Amino acid sequence: MHKLWIVTRETYTRQVKSWSFLMLVLMPFIMIGLSLGIGYISYSANSGSDTKIAIISDEPALRQQLIAQNKDDIQKNVTTVKQAKAKLAKDDLSGYVVLSVKQQQIQATFHGKSAMNSGLKAKITAYLTQAQSQANLATAQLSPAQIAALQKQPVFKEKLQHDQGEAKLAKTVSFWILVFMVYMILITYASITAQEIASEKGTKIMEIIFSSTSAAKYFVGKILGVLLVILTQVAVYALGGWGGYLYAQRIHGVSEFLADNQTLVNDVLHNLLSVNLIFLLLGVVIYTVLSAFSGALVAKAEDASKAAQPATMLTMVAFFATFPFQNNADQLLPKILSYVPFFSSYFMPIRIINEQASPIEITISLLILVITILLAMFYIGRIYEGLMLQTDDSSFWKRMKRGLAYSKK
Amino acid sequence: MLDIAHLHKQFGSVTALDDVTFSVAPGQIMGLIGQNGAGKSTTFHSILNFLHYDGQISWQNQPITETVFNEIGYLPEERSLMPKLTVEQQIVYLAELKNRPAKEIRPKIDDWLKRFAVKGNRKDKIKSLSKGNQQKVQLICTLIHEPKLIILDEPFSGLDPVNADLLKQAILDAKAAGAAIIFSSHDMENVASLCDSLVMLKNGQVVLSGTVEAVRAQFGKTELFVTTDQTQAQLAQLPHVTDVHQLHQRQYLLHLDTPDAGPEVFEALTHGQYIEEFRQQPPTLDEIFRLKAGEPNA
Repeated sequence: MHKLWIVTRETYTRQVKSWSFLMLVLMPFIMIGLSLGIGYISYSANSGSDTKIAIISDEPALRQQLIAQNKDDIQKNVTTVKQAKAKLAKDDLSGYVVLSVKQQQIQATFHGKSAMNSGLKAKITAYLTQAQSQANLATAQLSPAQIAALQKQPVFKEKLQHDQGEAKLAKTVSFWILVFMVYMILITYASITAQEIASEKGTKIMEIIFSSTSAAKYFVGKILGVLLVILTQVAVYALGGWGGYLYAQRIHGVSEFLADNQTLVNDVLHNLLSVNLIFLLLGVVIYTVLSAFSGALVAKAEDASKAAQPATMLTMVAFFATFPFQNNADQLLPKILSYVPFFSSYFMPIRIINEQASPIEITISLLILVITILLAMFYIGRIYEGLMLQTDDSSFWKRMKRGLAYSKK
Repeated sequence: MLDIAHLHKQFGSVTALDDVTFSVAPGQIMGLIGQNGAGKSTTFHSILNFLHYDGQISWQNQPITETVFNEIGYLPEERSLMPKLTVEQQIVYLAELKNRPAKEIRPKIDDWLKRFAVKGNRKDKIKSLSKGNQQKVQLICTLIHEPKLIILDEPFSGLDPVNADLLKQAILDAKAAGAAIIFSSHDMENVASLCDSLVMLKNGQVVLSGTVEAVRAQFGKTELFVTTDQTQAQLAQLPHVTDVHQLHQRQYLLHLDTPDAGPEVFEALTHGQYIEEFRQQPPTLDEIFRLKAGEPNA
């Protein structure tokens, strides 16, 4: 157990400390950071040209209240038309509004080089409408009852019915997230694992290591090391995603979107953080074992780049095979494939998301997967020494046959 | 004690080892000699359990298992380390796989680097070291955990005389510490100077076995070293002398047709007078090696 841990630790630290791993983990954050940065720069560049307006008025109360409500859009230190004209000429102002009251009627005139910003216009108009109606009420000298009657507002309510559409959307979103997650992790780590193993093939360091610990322990240690690396990456993404989610809730616009689609977000999270996650992780394990095995089957260390092919091909086949069935997972083929190791990690989650798999079916599929992984690891562990120490240039099948014949007990 | 009895290994139709039997006691050094392909590495691989084999191999009367691995130091024929690790990481990693805690090994590293005159320090990456220095680091990895059974496959190959002496000293130190040591070599001088016993393999069979003296004695004292004023032609006339080689100006090597001819040749050469050198020896290991390698298969 002790030596297994030493191999695991060595594999893990060497991978995690490598530049390639750091880039792999940080790349999505760098990309998101870059696109946010570019967005922010272009936003601030745009908002920079969006200069403020001035309010010129002989009615201090009216002016002050308007300024108080729109601090960000109004330059309050400009108080005369002369000042405003000068600033407008220098493009320090996008315009100015002259506000006056004549015979209890508020009059506002905008002077500018281009039309007033529509958002600001709406806000100012709303404010002026309110101010005018207050002035009207004062002029009319109405009784409190009349005022109350006039202030009645219509009631508008929204009662939305949650239809099947949203649940279906949640399923589709979960499907794509899950399938892509499995696929991306496998494509990345199949080659990392295969190369890690293949680069040691036939080297004398393997003789030294096998004169220190059993090949089976070494093999399992390597697999565990790679799995820890994968878990580290997933954990970094999960933490980053969670942090991003919390941050997004504070961003204007995104928070409304999240609030409006809370059910969808919850459904997707529920679909991901369920037994599907176990299928995902076990899928990663079995493909990692396959990659390690094919890494051990290359002719020599120099062929390491080819080593990942069997695992990547198989995962691509399984990945693309899911496409036709994302909405009709109750057909016979996906049903069968949801029990077949290497495929079940894609197909069973689809059936689970579509609520078409019973707990018994899920358990059987999981059991088949776990037993296959254990048998494969046990078997490869036994022939691993033979595979790693032979360095002949014979064909793939010959090497495999020799490796299998190497089994010692 | 390493005991190997009736070891047999077949690769398809090729017999790699055939009834190989020998043993190495603690505190003893055994040389395993033989031409390329004679079965030396296969013997080592069998001891280390890399192969299926027939016969018995035991260390201290126990079969060789992972527990025994902790007591073994093995240096493979070609050198290879993990290029991305630092010297310290490499030494500690391999020592940990021998069940030695890092905190026990780390303080020893500087001493060992000094002992083998490694140019570079413990924080250097393996790949930044020269080939010779990598080889020395590999030797340190083989020995730092103080193994009780040391297996060295061609340890002297590629070493210059100065470094070969450092290695010889390390091997003798390990012997003094009570380790059983077995090494293969093509350099018979190293074997003669270091080994207590030797085994020669030819086509997988043991053709010579025993202490170095006993093996040489088997061949009889048929070599005669003399330092004399006589000429090569005169020496060739002596009874029982089959041929004469001039070694230095007045020193000659005479081959005798029988070891018993010594007194007769002495008499004929000196007539009872003083002679500077008259030394009757068995053949050297190098000569025995060539002789045995050239013999037809048994």
